Amino acid sequence: MDNLNNNKPLVEMKDIHKWFGKVYALRGVDFHVNYNEIVGLVGDNGAGKSTLIKILSGFHTADRGEIYFEGKKVNIRTPKDAKNLGIETVYQEQALAPHVSIARNVFMGREPTKILGFLDRKKMEKDSLETIAKLGLKLRNPDTVVEALSGGQRQGVAIARVLYFKAKLVILDEPTIALSVKESQQVMEFIKQLKEEGISVIFITHNLYHAFQIAERFVVLSHGEKLTDVKREDTNIDDLSLLITSGKKVSEKMSE
Amino acid sequence: MKARESYISLIFSYKASFTLIVFIALILVFSLLSPNHVFVKSDNLGALGKLIPDLGIISMGVGMLMIGGEFDLSVASIIPMSSFIFVKMLEWQFPMPLIPFITILVGIVMGYINGLLVTKVKIPSFIATLGTMMFWRGVLYAASRMMPIGIRAYLEPGTLFEKILVGTIKGGIPVQILWLIFFTLILGFLLHFHKFGNWVFVTGDNRIAARAMGINTDMVKIVCFMIVGFLCSFMSMMQALRIESFAATQGIGYELKAIASSVVGGTSLAGGIGSVPGILLGTLTIQILENGLILLGAPVFGINAFIGAGIIAFAVLNVYIEKWKTV
Ligand SMILES: Nc1ncnc2c1ncn2[C@@H]1O[C@H](COP(=O)(O)OP(=O)(O)OP(=O)(O)O)[C@@H](O)[C@H]1O
Ligand SMILES: [Mg+2]
Repeated sequence: MDNLNNNKPLVEMKDIHKWFGKVYALRGVDFHVNYNEIVGLVGDNGAGKSTLIKILSGFHTADRGEIYFEGKKVNIRTPKDAKNLGIETVYQEQALAPHVSIARNVFMGREPTKILGFLDRKKMEKDSLETIAKLGLKLRNPDTVVEALSGGQRQGVAIARVLYFKAKLVILDEPTIALSVKESQQVMEFIKQLKEEGISVIFITHNLYHAFQIAERFVVLSHGEKLTDVKREDTNIDDLSLLITSGKKVSEKMSE
Repeated sequence: MKARESYISLIFSYKASFTLIVFIALILVFSLLSPNHVFVKSDNLGALGKLIPDLGIISMGVGMLMIGGEFDLSVASIIPMSSFIFVKMLEWQFPMPLIPFITILVGIVMGYINGLLVTKVKIPSFIATLGTMMFWRGVLYAASRMMPIGIRAYLEPGTLFEKILVGTIKGGIPVQILWLIFFTLILGFLLHFHKFGNWVFVTGDNRIAARAMGINTDMVKIVCFMIVGFLCSFMSMMQALRIESFAATQGIGYELKAIASSVVGGTSLAGGIGSVPGILLGTLTIQILENGLILLGAPVFGINAFIGAGIIAFAVLNVYIEKWKTV
């Protein structure tokens, strides 16, 4: 809403190529995310979804191609570069330390301190619960270890972290995998909440029903190429799943 | 309701709560059963007061390192190596104020080498420090020919330096106790209230997550190894002054006793779980178990068998407690 350059995308990846040895994982992919938009990135196993977003989050570098963030060309070489831009990634298993408290997890690596590096525990406890509450998740005790939480609540803690640190783009790679129906629903609510806060989201999933609930646009990858890029109102679950399984381009439905 | 809940979960989240029960039980048993209740007589308490800090100071470092996800077996050799260098410097009449600093530097450097082997050369710490343990011990035996070196020829009794490290305060309490309390507080605050402590926990608990959040986990581990080295050197001076010599046998068995103390005190072998008060309690428990068994007439040379059995019994009970908790 407060973005004046609404016509320009928040992030734009142009002609991205990636080789892993002999595997040609990305074959010239164009991909963009607009301000305050939820994009569903879908495709069969091995299509290149994770590779694409790992290039964006600094875990891989592209062999060819360019990335523009807020209109400027950027070089993302490390996860730190991505973080500095405001690009945050949430992984299912990799995000949290299970035996450490909620508050300490939210502030992992970015702890608020008072003097000489001693923790501001009050702030950690208060702010972590407040941020989690913004997602619509009620947790009472910030000292609870993450291991004691449900899968959905854990995702909430991981997402609260990116919310607190004012991410501009949040990448979620299969955040509902291994979650129950109810927990998945909960995670979808969190993602809606991120959008409410003005954050853009890339949501990778194999579950089109999940994707359809929240994504405003779908990008389908197949064998390292973009098959289609379509707004939700211009497609439906059956078309998308057919597209993913057949792996054929449907050019008349391209939105651009 | 909430307070009660968190209170209970806090108590049971530390395995050390169970250790506290064992610890109190051991004190009661040894007090009642030792001949003439000698366990609680001042002579024995004085002896314990000198022994417990030796192990306690080492366990603090080793336990913190374990929380960070690594082991250090080489403490068994860092201790005698720095003791040897310490006593040699006395013999060579080095300027007195320099000697403790150089001794401690030796330990820190040895810890740094361990840290580099583990994080940069990427050797599992169990193997890397097994290697440095044997390496330094070999160097030590060659350099010292395993002969003890008395310190009294080079250091008259009653120097300020000696009083600070191994003197007694009012009521005959050994200063070593104060040093143990000092290091417990310093490391306790560092681990539980400082951001570095948080990095240690998350590094041990989920290194990938810690790295993804920008924590330099290699640096965290190296610093922990250096803290262990520092504590070993510090303790080696206390020990050399107490026994008034360098002895090639110093440090033997400390590597495993320190790990045992940490585990009995609730530290996880897999990293990410543990506490400084727990490690202290674990040390007290192990040391009192050893002392009490000797007083009860257990054969001195077979004492390790009893301690070993005790640790296994403890671990087995802990498994049952864990199961009972999760029901
Ligand atoms: N680090 C790597 N080294 C070698 N090959 C890789 C690596 N990462 C991915 N690949 C290969 O690149 C291709 C794309 O993989 P990617 O993980 O991006 O797929 P994906 O769309 O995320 O699949 P999934 O839905 O199964 O997670 C696959 O053929 C994969 O084997
Ligand atoms: Mg993937």
